[in-house]
Amino acid sequence: MAGTAWSDRLRNLTGRRAGTTPVADPLVADLQQALSADRVHDSGVHRALMKKDASVFTGGVSGPLCYPETTEEVQAIMRIAERHDRAVVPRGAGTGLAGGAIPLGAPIVIAATRMNRIVDVDLDDRVAWVEPGVVNLDLTRHLQPLGFHFAPDPSSQQVCTIGGNVANNSGGPHCLAYGVTNAHVVALEVVLPSGEALMLGGLDAEPLGYDLRGAFVGSEGTLGFTTKVAVTITPNAPAVRTLLLSFDTIRDAANTVGAIIADGIVPAALEVMDQRITEAVENYVGAGYPTDAGAVLLAEVDGLADGIAIDADRIGEIGRAHGAIDVRQAATEEERALLWKGRKTAFGAIAQIAPDYYLHDTVVPRAKLADVLDEVYAIAERHDVLVMNVFHAGDGNLHPLLVFDARIEGKLDAVHAAGSEILAASVAAGGVLSGEHGIGVEKQAYMDQMFTDDDMDHQGRLRRAFDPVCRANPGKVLPMGHSCADIAALRSVPSEVWG
Amino acid sequence: MDLHLDAEDLNSCVQCGLCLPACPTFRVTGDESMSPRGRIQLMREVQDGDAPLTDEVLRSFETCVQCRACEPACPSSVPYGHLMERTRETLADGGHITPGWQRVAFKPLAHPQLLQIGSAALSVAQRAGLVPKRLGLSAEIPFRQEPLTASGTDVYLFTGCVMDAWQREVHAAGQRVLEAAGFGVTPTAELAPCCGALQAHAGLADDTRGLAATMMANLAPDRPILVDSAGCGAAMKDYGHLLGTAEAEAFSARVFDIQEWLADHLDKLPQARPLDLRVAVQDPCHLRHVQRVHGATRAVLAPFVRELVELDDDGMCCGAGGAYSVLEPELAGAIRDRKLGAIDRATPDLVASANPGCSMHLGAADVETAHPMELVDRALRQV
Repeated sequence: MAGTAWSDRLRNLTGRRAGTTPVADPLVADLQQALSADRVHDSGVHRALMKKDASVFTGGVSGPLCYPETTEEVQAIMRIAERHDRAVVPRGAGTGLAGGAIPLGAPIVIAATRMNRIVDVDLDDRVAWVEPGVVNLDLTRHLQPLGFHFAPDPSSQQVCTIGGNVANNSGGPHCLAYGVTNAHVVALEVVLPSGEALMLGGLDAEPLGYDLRGAFVGSEGTLGFTTKVAVTITPNAPAVRTLLLSFDTIRDAANTVGAIIADGIVPAALEVMDQRITEAVENYVGAGYPTDAGAVLLAEVDGLADGIAIDADRIGEIGRAHGAIDVRQAATEEERALLWKGRKTAFGAIAQIAPDYYLHDTVVPRAKLADVLDEVYAIAERHDVLVMNVFHAGDGNLHPLLVFDARIEGKLDAVHAAGSEILAASVAAGGVLSGEHGIGVEKQAYMDQMFTDDDMDHQGRLRRAFDPVCRANPGKVLPMGHSCADIAALRSVPSEVWG
Repeated sequence: MDLHLDAEDLNSCVQCGLCLPACPTFRVTGDESMSPRGRIQLMREVQDGDAPLTDEVLRSFETCVQCRACEPACPSSVPYGHLMERTRETLADGGHITPGWQRVAFKPLAHPQLLQIGSAALSVAQRAGLVPKRLGLSAEIPFRQEPLTASGTDVYLFTGCVMDAWQREVHAAGQRVLEAAGFGVTPTAELAPCCGALQAHAGLADDTRGLAATMMANLAPDRPILVDSAGCGAAMKDYGHLLGTAEAEAFSARVFDIQEWLADHLDKLPQARPLDLRVAVQDPCHLRHVQRVHGATRAVLAPFVRELVELDDDGMCCGAGGAYSVLEPELAGAIRDRKLGAIDRATPDLVASANPGCSMHLGAADVETAHPMELVDRALRQV
């Protein structure tokens, strides 16, 4: 049953018709020479499609779009970018929610999608080496038959890439017990904007020197491009129990979350959804979510069967003591999978209600969850915007989802105004701007609510130690005043969109 | 330009990207313009943003296999298949896609005599070694075939065009299985020459509407119409939408995939010793993603084979896509390579596929395939 080697023929494919027109742009010519003609796209279509990720933000038109397949090719792209004085922006699956991958200043787009090999899995060391374009869930699927998985499980895990997870230090429902991406990355091979390739971190338990790996994880592409990642792989738990608790009010659900943690239980996941989002989700998955409850709490415990049976009972008791009107356990693996499918596709399900959404990502202390939620609903009502709440409750990571139709005059402004107040309320409650989606372009303007000028100057210096001229993903994360060189990098003028 | 797409349908996509991994062309290219999200964005750019129809835009639309795996992956139920069919119809009407030679090539499908003559000629050419391998004609095309004869009037068995000319033995097997379950079967033969699925995929929806009208006029009302080709069944179940009439809705409501029908009448099938085979189920896209009745294949097959195994690729397309494997051989081949990997990992004795296009496309890569009805028939007839 051997297949033909089609990949070579595929190389000539994607730009077949476009390939017949002569290329005049010397930047494109250099890139095509370094990669191959079919892995550098310069058509208006390809560049226009880069304008957006999964956020509400729209970037400018990008420069050429490159699909490198090796570290050497990424190095070549960086050197060409330097020679032509162009910025670069990395892109995985384009599922970011803070505009981190949108192009500003006509940068060269470096797409990770063809660096998608799982290079090596070492079960003894419990480490897997993967390329940045590997899809998060594909890695877990690859590991499942071996008895392992990759613990960080963003809701977009079926599509998002490991490279994107590293760039955003992504979390996910099960990061409550297992830790976010940073806790699962032991080493990174990166290419700096100078074209130099480096290994950061290492497989030793305590690598020598400063933890530059730690600085790179979550840097949102502003330090360089990740070409290979060593991640720890986590053994599958011997047993899992998933509970669905229903409440009359979201306050009861939020207070239950705090009480469970205070009781000394650290569940694998604690997720809350309010009534509106539960209805949308149930409509898609039909998992048996109660659509008449004010809020639901999805709690999961994993470990040894006897231990988690006790934890599961205790969670049920705590829930009832805090007003749970129903406590149910998933009876089968299918039921459990459906419940999770519902939770993880919640954001995408909202087009049933309105065509646009703006998803926030603040974190607040667990004890303040209920109060901040009240405030979020009040803010949304004041601005006449529909809000839904679905969030990683165990971490205090709120995801207020503002749902709207951008075609209605003034609606987008109201959404931004409401969002701004939600951020301010979260920070005032002792929280932070972003739990896991990153700063991108979205929360740049709010950085001063968290950091002093001095803080941000130091962050700018760290950035320039890797990228002295701010060529890597300029215009993101740090506000302009703190990364002056960004301004120069953003000056490139895009050519005609549909050219 | 106006693609005649419904604004609400277009707006139902929030660009979340959850469809990307389900899309075979995105999977093998990593290219946003070859993803459902990218294609919908281009539809918007063309219809609302007045973007010109460049070669790259057309290429994006033409490379879609129309497998519709993005639909079950979409939490907002974007009607992608209808958007793409409508887009292609508008573009074909304007002469932007589906060149004349393709339109000519689709013509014989609706004319059984022409198709028989063409098939006989192809059969001779194939035996003389004149048919290029890349056309993907794995099996030998028969020169002549025994006609099917009616055994009763309980159900219709839709026989269609190419499948009847090239794989009539599958219809014969399906008919025998239905008869073993006690149903009298009327093969539709010239009453319903073609379902029009390939034409609709190419943007020639008017041809499909004409064929649908013929079929609806010729077939007696109130009798179930069973279909053993997943692509045809999906098209016929969509006549209600395509024609927009109550009559067409009612017609579509009595179309069933043959496995879907038998799964509801399992108790009527005689028992038989299971075939000593480890069988992998390959779900045709239009059975799994459009009709969504792929569970029935398993229910019907399970009692008749030693072991059923699943492929680990979530029902990813095999690349056949009706005429796609002929029109886009490189992409179709790259997509099939993924499928071959999944089949290798499942280590089956053979692969069951309920769609003629898939079995031919896989057969051209030396995969041994059989229609589920052929397997059940074989089990029932063994001594």
